[in-house]
Amino acid sequence: MNPLALSLILTTLLAGTLITMMSSHWLTAWMGLEMNMLTMIPILMKTTNPRSTEAATKYFMTQAMASMMLMMALTINLMYSGQWSITKMTNPVASNMALMALMTKLGSAPFHFWVPEVTQGVELTPGMILLTWQKLAPLSLLYQMATYTNTNLIYLSGLLSILIGGWGGLNQTQLRKILAYSSISHMGWMLIILPFNPTLTLLNLTIYIMLTLSIFMILTNTFTTSMSSLTLMWNKTPAMTIMLMTTLLSLGGLPPLSGFMPKWLMIHELTKNNSIIMPLTMAIMALLNMYFYMRLIYYSSLTILPSTNNMKMTWRFTNTKHTMTLPTLITLSNMLLPLTPMISMLE
Amino acid sequence: MMYIVFIMSVLYVVGFIGFSSKPSPVYGGMSLVVSGGLGCGIIMGSGGSFLGLVVFLVYLGGMMVVFGYTIAMATEEYPETWGSNVVVLGAFLVGLLMEVFMIMWLFSGEHELVGFYFGGLEDLMVLGEGGFEYVREDYSGGASLYSYGFWFLAMAGWMLFVSIFIAIEVTRKRY
Repeated sequence: MNPLALSLILTTLLAGTLITMMSSHWLTAWMGLEMNMLTMIPILMKTTNPRSTEAATKYFMTQAMASMMLMMALTINLMYSGQWSITKMTNPVASNMALMALMTKLGSAPFHFWVPEVTQGVELTPGMILLTWQKLAPLSLLYQMATYTNTNLIYLSGLLSILIGGWGGLNQTQLRKILAYSSISHMGWMLIILPFNPTLTLLNLTIYIMLTLSIFMILTNTFTTSMSSLTLMWNKTPAMTIMLMTTLLSLGGLPPLSGFMPKWLMIHELTKNNSIIMPLTMAIMALLNMYFYMRLIYYSSLTILPSTNNMKMTWRFTNTKHTMTLPTLITLSNMLLPLTPMISMLE
Repeated sequence: MMYIVFIMSVLYVVGFIGFSSKPSPVYGGMSLVVSGGLGCGIIMGSGGSFLGLVVFLVYLGGMMVVFGYTIAMATEEYPETWGSNVVVLGAFLVGLLMEVFMIMWLFSGEHELVGFYFGGLEDLMVLGEGGFEYVREDYSGGASLYSYGFWFLAMAGWMLFVSIFIAIEVTRKRY
């Protein structure tokens, strides 16, 4: 894309999320979400094949519908309460409709159908922006308005997200779809803890973003998008293959890596509130996620598939992709567990 | 007066059904014009004459005209209308049926319409510290966009500017 247009569009993408996160008036929050949606479309269409166009169209359709529902919820709230503040949506019709609109924007079940298709249809970098940056604005709104919604809807959607994220990712060989289902599953975890302790939602969001950024950057650096190219990664960059292994284990929530921190604290918080069956189901369903991460680890790091001898000695070209933030992200996404007492700074 | 506004809002929804049943954009544009005019009528019937005229000028006179010209450039040889395709006709009739059911439900409860208040834009807002200044809501809303809400205006203008760039990027030639 033309650098001037790209900088303009990225600036507006940043501005949209920041406007939503900084606003106390529903109209400015909605405006920021619309800015996000509109400027995401040319980013999704950066490549010139019809697949990206279709993915951008699907993204636009679902997000525009969610924005419409959100606007209707806002006007119903205005009609019944006469004010535009985000934290006081006392009318149940308005708050539940806004909840469903924001869940559609996040891609949690039962509104998750666009996430795998859009993530698969675009390149790795727009997919990365889609799964990390675009979660910030709707979650900041949900954080503020979730106290007045029907919590049964939140639990239902969260549990469904974890189930669908787990079962949906089992039959996938394309890495972008696997990461999309992983995103759906993590959104489920974030939603369930929202009525209990919203700080843990923010913690899960932070760690999830770090993990997903690490994985996407590793994949971008080695040009792998499917499991078959993953099997050849050991040849190009053995160090990154090992880092992919530890980061994937962290994404699955395995101690002693960082990804264990949000899951542990969430189950702790849920059991403190006398809820036993739900964290049990969530923990068991997280094993489904762990299964396909283990499959990726197995094929990338733990085995070398049979190949001819000349494939074992590739010529090492200089890496043209910049890996500037990758070491920091990998360290953060693997070794943050001893810093768990520091989450009090998120309060 | 309340019933005129109610009838206009029913016809507004019927206009929306007219283009949601997906005929060719030529006929969809016509349906949008009808819906836009009726929406303007709803706003004016609620007392906001200024905002209704703004809708007519900007929406119908600006955006729909440009939309109509672009459709005329991109039209097809045999455009699909509501009677040409059974799918479009079926969707239109189903939407119409749903609207009729909704009207029947609205009139079923009590003698009056269920919870409709078509007023409010002709009320007078109290502005100013003296307590003796009264302004109409629709005029003051339009004016406050340029005074108290200038950041809204700035963001709206910025987004219009960026959407040109977005439209150019999206419609770039793809191989």
